[in-house]
Amino acid sequence: MHRRQFILGTAALAAALVAAGCSAPSAENTGEAGTLRYAAVGAPATASHDPHGGLGNESDAMRFALLYDVLTVPGEHGTQPRLATSWTPDESLTNWRIELRDDATFTDGEPVTAADVLFSLRRMQEKAAENYGRMGMFDLAASATKGQHTLRLVTHKPFAEVGQALESATFIVPEGSEDFSEPVAGSGPFRMESGDAEAAVLARNDDWWGPRPPLDTIEIRAIADPQARADAVASGQADVAGSVNPAAARTAEREGLRVVHRQGVTVYPLVMRLDSEPFDDERVREAVKLAVDREQLLDTVFLGQGAQASDLLTPADATAPELPARTRDLDRARELLAEAGHGDGLDLTLKTTTAYPGMDDTATLIAEHLKPIGVNVTVDVVPQDTYWTEVYAQEPFYVSYLGGISFLDVARVALLPDSPTNETAWGDNGWAERFDEAMAEKDEPKRAELLGALQRELAEDGGYVVWAAGDGLDLARPGVSGLPTGPGFQRLFIDQVRLGSR
Amino acid sequence: MTGVLPRACARAALVLFAVAAGVFLLTDVLPGDAVLARTRGGAGAAELARLRAESGMDGPIWERFARWGWSLLHGDAGTSLLSDRPVSTLVGERLPATLTLAACALAVTVPLLLVLSWWAGGLAARSYGGGILAAAAAIPQVVVAAAAVAVFSGLLGWLPGVSLLPIGAPPWHEPALLVLPALSLALPSAAYGAGLLSGSVADVRTLPHVGDAILRGVPRWRIATRHALPLLWAPAIRVVAVIAGGLIAATTVVETVFGYTGLGELLVSSVAARDVPVVQAVALLGAVVVVTGGVLADVLRGVRA
Repeated sequence: MHRRQFILGTAALAAALVAAGCSAPSAENTGEAGTLRYAAVGAPATASHDPHGGLGNESDAMRFALLYDVLTVPGEHGTQPRLATSWTPDESLTNWRIELRDDATFTDGEPVTAADVLFSLRRMQEKAAENYGRMGMFDLAASATKGQHTLRLVTHKPFAEVGQALESATFIVPEGSEDFSEPVAGSGPFRMESGDAEAAVLARNDDWWGPRPPLDTIEIRAIADPQARADAVASGQADVAGSVNPAAARTAEREGLRVVHRQGVTVYPLVMRLDSEPFDDERVREAVKLAVDREQLLDTVFLGQGAQASDLLTPADATAPELPARTRDLDRARELLAEAGHGDGLDLTLKTTTAYPGMDDTATLIAEHLKPIGVNVTVDVVPQDTYWTEVYAQEPFYVSYLGGISFLDVARVALLPDSPTNETAWGDNGWAERFDEAMAEKDEPKRAELLGALQRELAEDGGYVVWAAGDGLDLARPGVSGLPTGPGFQRLFIDQVRLGSR
Repeated sequence: MTGVLPRACARAALVLFAVAAGVFLLTDVLPGDAVLARTRGGAGAAELARLRAESGMDGPIWERFARWGWSLLHGDAGTSLLSDRPVSTLVGERLPATLTLAACALAVTVPLLLVLSWWAGGLAARSYGGGILAAAAAIPQVVVAAAAVAVFSGLLGWLPGVSLLPIGAPPWHEPALLVLPALSLALPSAAYGAGLLSGSVADVRTLPHVGDAILRGVPRWRIATRHALPLLWAPAIRVVAVIAGGLIAATTVVETVFGYTGLGELLVSSVAARDVPVVQAVALLGAVVVVTGGVLADVLRGVRA
């Protein structure tokens, strides 16, 4: 007996020694002064150096926003100049003169010219299949450079919002860049120092034309798991975690970390395809909209961190109209279903996935909410690798996702007849023509009004049930200031973030 | 000795070929492909066909497999179908991280495994030892990892609950980061390995010269090291090889939980995106570890014989 104990004891000791050997005392990992460590959303395995593709990883997009100049950026009061100093249309709104700054240079010393800009925009157009036709409004073959720092951009149709169309994702690379297996030269506020796409160290580019960034270096890592991102900040291995779960944010707040809210940027809309039964009947769509319990969804899925929505896809957009709150009305919903010929019940399959936290809960709750009006919903949770290829923009009834892009972007991607992923089969009812009319309107307040009316129409008649808009929740250690709080791509521009005392 | 090595190597080559072909076929059978994953519904049929042709994804499966194999024999593992980055870069960046983690895990696993199998192979534990080991091996890694984090990070606060590797420094630069991931890997695989080895141990312990030694009152640890271990080398190396190969794939869960960027995450994400060249490279690496261990065991046995 003693001998056995001895053997076991020795082994346990050996194991402990090895473990201890693996854990020699290490310095407190707090990073250097002036270094911001950002744990961003992203799958490290799919990290890419190509700024003109799908930008599926936020970690990549954020790195590009620091390494490359973009033409314009979103601001509190509309589009702000960046590399482009002005964008001026002709009378027809199809012919735009874009002026560029003349003091921007790439890290290889070459000046940034109109030719580089046109090359980059054309490259984005070539990759339309990956970036959902981000440059689709432009006729880039007809566009041309007009001197060193001026270019003429031609749009297919009158398009009054060219400034906005050039926001955020127009990363400018040197003309002729072809190999993107390594980062190419940029002209942004930071330059690549070490690391690679999945974990990069960026150092301040002192030759940048803009306001000097307060930080010396920024480390950006792609971390797929939201809990791991939150834990990274909690354990002091990162200063900021992008997009954490509401529950993790709540815990972290109790532990003295700061939660930065980006208001109303996450929506998990319920998609009903207008060209499929039974959703081709507007009474069925209205019944579903009346039956979901928006309050419970908001409280359960977003833990109340957000605001109830009345089916507006982009409530954070500057042109979003004010709509009255939708109240649950089961009697009216039953009536509508009976009128539509489904008085004796309806069987539906609702697809969802686990790509973003709470998408599966959304489907489960909606199934419960629809039961009292006689709609029997079977929830089918699809793995995320097949969700994007087999459910998204294909199935008639599923839980979708939108991450705070602008109304114009949503319209381009999902609401027009030629949109690559028109998931609700929307736009045949004259809406697309009215959208074109709005884009041809020169007067800005008038245009905003037209765009607002379009959104109202979509909310009332469309195939989307947008029950709430959840806040984007970023986690920061005390001392980090200046993190962006605006919607959409604004979150990527962290070049003016500061670090106080830790 | 003559003939052992060539035979073992030929067998190894066959196994590797079978693994490569099998994985290629399996990835091909899965619904969807890399072009669909990359465009996420943003491309029509004609565009999809163009993109497939561009990245060499058209043509019958045997032709694509041959093309891939031919390039690999010429030292070119291809480029990722998702990010256009060279597969060698992707694997090369993560290999040190995974090897370090697997080595630390093995360093804990092997002694633990030997002790556990000695215990389970003994007469006293014969009736229930195997069952206990099987049960321990069946505990999902994510549970082990979560428990380890809860105790050592949450409760005691000794170790970090995530392990973000330093950028631009070797993975062992911050050894504290390796402890919990390594332990989470080691505990289940030690139990699994002990289960595999306990049968051989039981056989050895009933051999006459071992029984003799016990009767002569030789200390138990000397019996284990002097009388039993020499006979156990070949099966032990086999088991360790299987575990080492498994560790490369098994790191996946642990890597996700700890935010540790290694080959496991690469494998899983690449399977999800149907990124065939990357999947092939990682799967083959795992197979090479297992097969090398097998060859070693064969050669050792050959030498003894």
